[in-house]
Amino acid sequence: MTLVDLVIRSMRKNLKHYYLYFFALIFGVTLFFIFSTLQHDSAVVEQTDLSAKMASGFQAATVLLFGILLIFVTYANDLFLKRRSREIGLYQLVGLTKGAVSRLLIIENILLGAGAFIVGIGAGMLVSRLFLLLLMKLVGYEGFVNLSFSGAAFLQTAVVFAVLIVITSFRMFWKIRRSQLIDLFNDDKKDEHPKQPKPILSALLGILGIAMIGIGYWFANSEYMMTAFLFFNMLLVLMLVIVGTYIAFRVTIGWLMTLVRKQQNGHIGLAGALSLAPLMHRMKANAKSLTVITTLSAMTLAMAGFAYSMYYSTEQETRVRVPHDFLIDEVGEGNEGTSAEIAAQFAEDLDSAGIGYTQQPITYLELTGAFSGENLPDLLNWEGNTVELLVFDTRELKAAGLDIEEPETGEATIHNNGISWLLTKEVFPVGASVAVDGRTEKLNVTSIGTQEVASGYAGVYTQLTLNGETFDRIKEAAPAESHRPLVAFNLDDKGDLAEASAIFKNYREEMTLDFYSTYKESLSYNGIMIFITGFLGLAFLVSTGSILYFKQMSEAEQEKRSYTTLRQLGFKTGEIMKGIRRKQAFVFGIPLLMGLVHSVFAIKSVSFLFTSTDITMPVTIAMIAYALVYLAFAILTIGYYRKTIQAAL
Amino acid sequence: MVTNTNQPHGRTVLQAHQISKSFGSKLNSTEVLKGINLQVREGEFVGIMGPSGAGKTTLLNVLATIDRPTSGTITIDGQETSKMKDAQLSTFRRDKLGFIFQDYNLLDTLTVKENILLPASLGGLSKKAAEEQFNDIAGILGIKEHGHKYPHEISGGQKQRTSAARALVNHPSMVFADEPTGALDSKSASALLGTLEDVNKSRGVTIMMVTHDAVASSYCSRVIFLKDGAMYSELYRGDKARQAFFQDILNMQAVLGGDRVDAR
Ligand SMILES: Nc1ncnc2c1ncn2[C@@H]1O[C@H](COP(=O)(O)OP(=O)(O)OP(=O)(O)O)[C@@H](O)[C@H]1O
Ligand SMILES: [Mg+2]
Repeated sequence: MTLVDLVIRSMRKNLKHYYLYFFALIFGVTLFFIFSTLQHDSAVVEQTDLSAKMASGFQAATVLLFGILLIFVTYANDLFLKRRSREIGLYQLVGLTKGAVSRLLIIENILLGAGAFIVGIGAGMLVSRLFLLLLMKLVGYEGFVNLSFSGAAFLQTAVVFAVLIVITSFRMFWKIRRSQLIDLFNDDKKDEHPKQPKPILSALLGILGIAMIGIGYWFANSEYMMTAFLFFNMLLVLMLVIVGTYIAFRVTIGWLMTLVRKQQNGHIGLAGALSLAPLMHRMKANAKSLTVITTLSAMTLAMAGFAYSMYYSTEQETRVRVPHDFLIDEVGEGNEGTSAEIAAQFAEDLDSAGIGYTQQPITYLELTGAFSGENLPDLLNWEGNTVELLVFDTRELKAAGLDIEEPETGEATIHNNGISWLLTKEVFPVGASVAVDGRTEKLNVTSIGTQEVASGYAGVYTQLTLNGETFDRIKEAAPAESHRPLVAFNLDDKGDLAEASAIFKNYREEMTLDFYSTYKESLSYNGIMIFITGFLGLAFLVSTGSILYFKQMSEAEQEKRSYTTLRQLGFKTGEIMKGIRRKQAFVFGIPLLMGLVHSVFAIKSVSFLFTSTDITMPVTIAMIAYALVYLAFAILTIGYYRKTIQAAL
Repeated sequence: MVTNTNQPHGRTVLQAHQISKSFGSKLNSTEVLKGINLQVREGEFVGIMGPSGAGKTTLLNVLATIDRPTSGTITIDGQETSKMKDAQLSTFRRDKLGFIFQDYNLLDTLTVKENILLPASLGGLSKKAAEEQFNDIAGILGIKEHGHKYPHEISGGQKQRTSAARALVNHPSMVFADEPTGALDSKSASALLGTLEDVNKSRGVTIMMVTHDAVASSYCSRVIFLKDGAMYSELYRGDKARQAFFQDILNMQAVLGGDRVDAR
């Protein structure tokens, strides 16, 4: 029998272990090829006018994807090698040299990799158009894009895959070279012996794990987080949570289970014997991989949830920054005439295009002033500094369609979206002294508004809104050159926005004055982001899910003898399956649950970025999607167990 | 067929009629059991001996409802198991039968006590009653103080006694054992056989045991000899001392031939 015969035989025999790995590999190639294609295809790049953003986004994605694939493939390979160690030992026992055995495995590995590559590229070519359409839809592009086969993408994918195969082959070679025959026969039995844990130590460590996670959560959402050491704090939180998670897996869960088991005093029952007992004694060995899976799950989930929230809230968040459909001011360069004159021309154009609108002149005062208050946040360092202030009249803003509160006489509301998250309720009231014509006018700032009041000033200038009476008094006193006239336009039918935006471009180029352009721009950014994170998340999910599946598959095999015994003792498949389902609920549920909780806290700590949108909905949807994929893997696993148990007698 | 008299007159626990068993496809099948008739009365300790490949394990598995006969009927405790469906059989095994395996088949992840109490877990037994059962049987088998240990922490003999305790905890009508002493040294083997004999006598548990070992089968009250899938003969111990019975068994083995090497 030649080596090739042997390879073919062993591959056929191991097919049922390989098929999911093979599938995951194909999935990786396909995704990689598609990302690469979208990044390299010149037609896409030119026609969509997204070149720079897209290229860098996809570049980052391909690097990440390579990382995910590398971890997944090496991990899966190690797992396979371990479960096949007895077979490898047997080959050596019957006289194959270590060199021949590693050749055999490497040929297998290359065949698998090459097969996955070919199928993956084929699948990639078939579905890349679909992906492109999806991407175009997400970024709001409505043109027709042609997609051709990209040689560069093919080459990039091929190189990356070759690297992957070489790395894993080398690892195999190295592992076999190092291995002792006796270890090979015991390898799949390692960590098999359950141990009695030391009660006090594990109780202490067990509590420590949970405490570290709790402190991390609390710290991330506390006031101590937002200091000059923000970056350092973030690292600290990350470390606390990751180490806490590891301890939780390695000690806490096992410790809690020990308590439960002690309580049972030997009356463990069938379900417990099939879930509690094997989980407990494998927890230690699995702690590292579970921590990695959980941490990465949390990160992907947070990323995907965040991206989806961004995408979902694009319109509302854009409205916060750009409240008027169009705003005409007179500070821009190269425009002829005052804002009123330009407004008149723009209105004329809108009329002739048959677009209905309302227009409202808004005059604001450009003044300087300073803030004072007991609870002003350090980060702002307002004390004693003079800042530029734009003072608006609530009456005019309301007439322009803004939904804002009118302050009392002598009071003001502050608007500055860039810093609004720092201005919590406790900060107010704040005193504002506004310099008007040599005098200072004292105002009492009582609250913060939820949005900017004029397009184009987002996050740059601090705006104050006053009621009519106060505004008129200050306007009277302020010199004429501080009066700034604006004209706000709002369309009756928002369906006309695209057309009106094109007309508006004849007068003003600044995108920030034009709601529609700003919106489109944000949408395309967020669209790309959700596309990338979504698919990276999926690649990640599929790989972690399959790793859990592989692990369970080998556990099922290791426990086959126990199932035989149980069946002989008179337990029915259905009764045994009850315990198995409980075990799977833990195996998939615990990393999922911990990942979900981690990501909830992660998203919560950045949720201040979403000023006007409730992101519960998009985050929940992202999480449900995530949970569903895990559920699918859990069901696959349970199916595998059922087959094993049915075949056990 | 050579038969001894002195048959005990208890209630019939197991009745097998014309059991045959073939393996393989219809076209290419080998008949491993060839029409075996057997009756076991309550409180008997039956040994099954015979050369390797004679069909001992197959017979035991078929009688113990782990495998099905190709034809023939088996009645245990008045119920015809050969007609039962799989699910019914499982329940039946759990409630009525006990098993001791050659390589113990303990669950590695369970403690000794958990292993022993496992069959009781679905029987609807109260925790207190189960605890009593455990104390009772573990006391008899001398493994009570090892209850909290895991299988890898105890000796082979202790493992086998755990396996026996698990088989006995449910008060089965009948216990089946396939070479229970096969993996034990002679000292642990005779300790186990001694306790089995005790349990057999004191509790009146019916035991059927496959063994290669003439010493082991000398603890039995009756030994059945199989050859080529058929009953070759049987020996009753009657009132004989164990040593005398052992001699009888050795003689029978000599007649039977082929398997002397295995007798220790
Ligand atoms: N599942 C099976 N499929 C096919 N043939 C089988 C099967 N099980 C047993 N046999 C055959 O039936 C015959 C009897 O086997 P069995 O295991 O009952 O022998 P045994 O008396 O227990 O032998 P030993 O003393 O070696 O354990 C053997 O020839 C064996 O090859
Ligand atoms: Mg046998």
